[in-house]
Amino acid sequence: MQIIDSQRIAASREKVWAALNDPAVLKQCIPGCEDLQMSSPTDMAATVVLRVGPVKATFGGKVTLSDLDPPNGYRISGEGSGGVAGFAKGGATVRLEPDGPDATILNYDVDVLIGGRLAQLGGRLIESTTKKLSGEFFAAFGAIVGGEAEAETGEAKRGWLSRLTGSAQGAE
Amino acid sequence: MNDMTPTREQRTAALEGMGCKRKRVEDIRFTQGKGNYVDDVKLPGMLHGDFVRSPHAHARVKAIHSEEALKVPGVLAVITAETLKTVNLAWMPTLAGDVQMVLADGKVLFQNQEVAFVVATDRYAADDGIAKVEVEYEPLPVLVDPFKAMDPDAPVLREDLAGKTTGAHGPRKHHNHIFEWTVGDKDLTDAAFRKADVTIKELISYHRVHPSPLETCQCVCSFDKIRGELTIWGTFQAPHVIRTVVALIAKIPEHKIHVISPDIGGGFGNKVGAYPGYICAAVASIVTGKPVKWVEDRIENLTATSFARDYHMTAELAATKEGKVTGLRVHVLADHGAFDACADPSKWPAGFFNIVTGSYDIPVAHLAVDGIYTNKAPGGVAYRCSFRVTEAAYCIERAMDILAQKLNMDPAELRLKNFVRPEQFPYHSALGWEYDSGDYATAMKKVMETVKYAGLRQEQADKRAAFKRGETREIMGVGVSFFTEIVGAGPSKNCDILGIAMFDSCEIRLHPTGAGIARVGSKSQGQGHETTWAQIIATEIGIPADNIMVEEGNTDTAPYGLGTYGSRSTPVAGAAIAMAARKIKAKAQMIAAYKLEVHEDDLEWDIDGFRVKGLPEKTMSMKDICWAAYNSVPPGMEPGLEAVSYYDPPNMTYPFGAYICVMDIDVDTGVYKVRRFMALDDCGTRINPMIIEGQVHGGLTEAFAIAMGQEIRYDDAGNVVTGSFMDFFMPTAVETPHWETDFTVTPSPHHPIGAKGVGESPNVGGVPAFSNAVNDAFSFLGSTHIQMPHDYWRNWKAAKSLGVFA
Repeated sequence: MQIIDSQRIAASREKVWAALNDPAVLKQCIPGCEDLQMSSPTDMAATVVLRVGPVKATFGGKVTLSDLDPPNGYRISGEGSGGVAGFAKGGATVRLEPDGPDATILNYDVDVLIGGRLAQLGGRLIESTTKKLSGEFFAAFGAIVGGEAEAETGEAKRGWLSRLTGSAQGAE
Repeated sequence: MNDMTPTREQRTAALEGMGCKRKRVEDIRFTQGKGNYVDDVKLPGMLHGDFVRSPHAHARVKAIHSEEALKVPGVLAVITAETLKTVNLAWMPTLAGDVQMVLADGKVLFQNQEVAFVVATDRYAADDGIAKVEVEYEPLPVLVDPFKAMDPDAPVLREDLAGKTTGAHGPRKHHNHIFEWTVGDKDLTDAAFRKADVTIKELISYHRVHPSPLETCQCVCSFDKIRGELTIWGTFQAPHVIRTVVALIAKIPEHKIHVISPDIGGGFGNKVGAYPGYICAAVASIVTGKPVKWVEDRIENLTATSFARDYHMTAELAATKEGKVTGLRVHVLADHGAFDACADPSKWPAGFFNIVTGSYDIPVAHLAVDGIYTNKAPGGVAYRCSFRVTEAAYCIERAMDILAQKLNMDPAELRLKNFVRPEQFPYHSALGWEYDSGDYATAMKKVMETVKYAGLRQEQADKRAAFKRGETREIMGVGVSFFTEIVGAGPSKNCDILGIAMFDSCEIRLHPTGAGIARVGSKSQGQGHETTWAQIIATEIGIPADNIMVEEGNTDTAPYGLGTYGSRSTPVAGAAIAMAARKIKAKAQMIAAYKLEVHEDDLEWDIDGFRVKGLPEKTMSMKDICWAAYNSVPPGMEPGLEAVSYYDPPNMTYPFGAYICVMDIDVDTGVYKVRRFMALDDCGTRINPMIIEGQVHGGLTEAFAIAMGQEIRYDDAGNVVTGSFMDFFMPTAVETPHWETDFTVTPSPHHPIGAKGVGESPNVGGVPAFSNAVNDAFSFLGSTHIQMPHDYWRNWKAAKSLGVFA
């Protein structure tokens, strides 16, 4: 399954690029990320809690940055195993385009493959979950880098009413 | 005679024999929650086993780490293929002549394949242990689409078969090819097609489904180290075959294996085969010296043990312009999954699919079936049908409708024009069967009269006109289906399982007071054998059915039988019961003659005993004969009154039926409503009309499920995406339509009581009736064939693709 979307971030392309390579920022943005350790500038080990429908599992895996083309973009990919819950792998190709000196258009193209029990039980939910998770990632990223809001006030922390009505102050 | 003397009618009624709507005796315990199922077996010190399963559809297994699992409190052992190799059980033979991994040996070939077996003191600990077993996989390219299986660059699935150009059923054409099976005369068939006025050709797919009995597959294995005996309680449709299989592969002497099938909560073909769970539980019990229970959960059942169908049939019919069918040509691409574990008689790699000429007098036909491997679960069982018969019936019944559409002829009329005629029986079909008896036109016309068929067609024409004028968004379909089943496998000349002829058996033992026990080689899973078998005996020997206890499923006490599937119980075991009863009756006649001091030939049978010809008051009841059998038999005769019969059927039986389904579909939502469903079945002599009606209701409900929604679907990565009842359609009373039933009676000429079997007919005839109704509804919009299942979404998609809305 694939999701193609873009987002405008109120920050220069260089600032966005730097953030895309900052494990501390990535850790804050990857939904459910509990731990992210860098072993080289392009390789990280991550622990992510993922929930699809009735299945919730802790995934251990690696995150890799590739096709680095500073400051135009890269590919961020990951794969992990959740034991009996199954496995997930996927990534996003990110392209940055300047939108004037103080803003950047972040284009992303996400592909995800889910297998095992996650896919069996959550089959009908995979598309919506993937959209939700990638939306959360880039919303949080935009909030942190664009400075429009602190990460803590991003989508994950919004109340149920604002989530329903979409009237939050966060980047959406 | 006085007023107190029962009339002949009263004496007959008191027996509750054949033809009586006798209430099911097993329901007394079932409706009170007092059934005894495998999961009710709880033995002291019993352990529980459960599987680590593969999340991948195709991957190399590089390592299995069980150290952490063994630290979980209660976990005693983690069994892997390496463990099983020490007892030569890492692989097991399948019923289809292939071999299957018991536990992943180097690689996995389908999602949820068994990788390791965790044994623990309770099920919770076993599941905790599973979560701690770490398996290193290296994913491999996945093959899901059967049409790509024989591409030159298709991934190699079965590395164990490398270099084997011949399989159990002849040459293999490709590394993912299992067999090619051909029947019929190709040259004559090709010639018929060249001469035909009209031909049709269509790819008709029968999608992958699953029998999904409410009780999943399960067993308890208990090995007694002192005696060297293994006892297995299991959900087995064929307990004796399981005992033989265990003896052959585990090398335990067969007399030291006790297989017990207690009450079974539905089988539908799912419980015929031998599964890794049985082997692992047995090995675990032998290793630990304790009883080990294995119980599948729903996801495991749907994704790992024995799917059904997955036949992709290219059907061609040749006909004259008047609508006389002159030839049939069929090619089947049969998706068997990762191992060929079809539960067919050994010589029949595609079951009895060559019944595909159906109920029609088709002079020439040719059939070719290619079986192939894919990264899907193994199986291919006969889900409420005889071996591959529902696939065949669906194929020919859809093809006949497509031909009718092309000829612009009514589908019922086309069928009537091509039926095998009553005087042609016994009828030899172009693909090699000898149909025993039938009167098809009478059955068809009767059901057409009941539903007022001509009126339905007029209403449909009016509605179609109204639809075209834009006055309604509802379309109406009339699905006609006429099927001929082939059941009662089978004659030893052409049917065996692992070399054992497919006879069945009965042992009847009558006690001095006129009661008795009948032990039978079949095994009820809900069919009501305890009720109906006693009815056959009641009519045959005049002992009330209530005085006959029927026992099945214990290999120590029941005579060897091949079990219950493929509607074989009544045709084969039912015949054995009648023949055993007749042996008893013959001895009873000698005893009665001795006691009445007449010659045997002077006696005649009269409902519940013998009477002297011409002297109706001089009688001896069967009850009294029972007593005499234990104290005053004729000189030289052994006392007692018992008999055993092993019945080798001379032929299959051929039940048939005519079904009509009336359906309305809203084109904007795809929502359908079954307005009427009329099922007429002819199963020959009817033993218990109430049980037949129940069987027909159940079979129609499963047919409805299959045609209208049930599907085991795989995504491109080989994930099963319909692995629970949330996604796998299981109709409840809410969805299930109202059924109307009817019957004709054309007895089987070769069966002792003329019965043919009925349990699976409604599934065989029902699926095409539903599918033909949907296809008939859409046909006037320009469609020829819409694939099953016909759920709302697919109906909506069909409407959309036909341009009904933008």
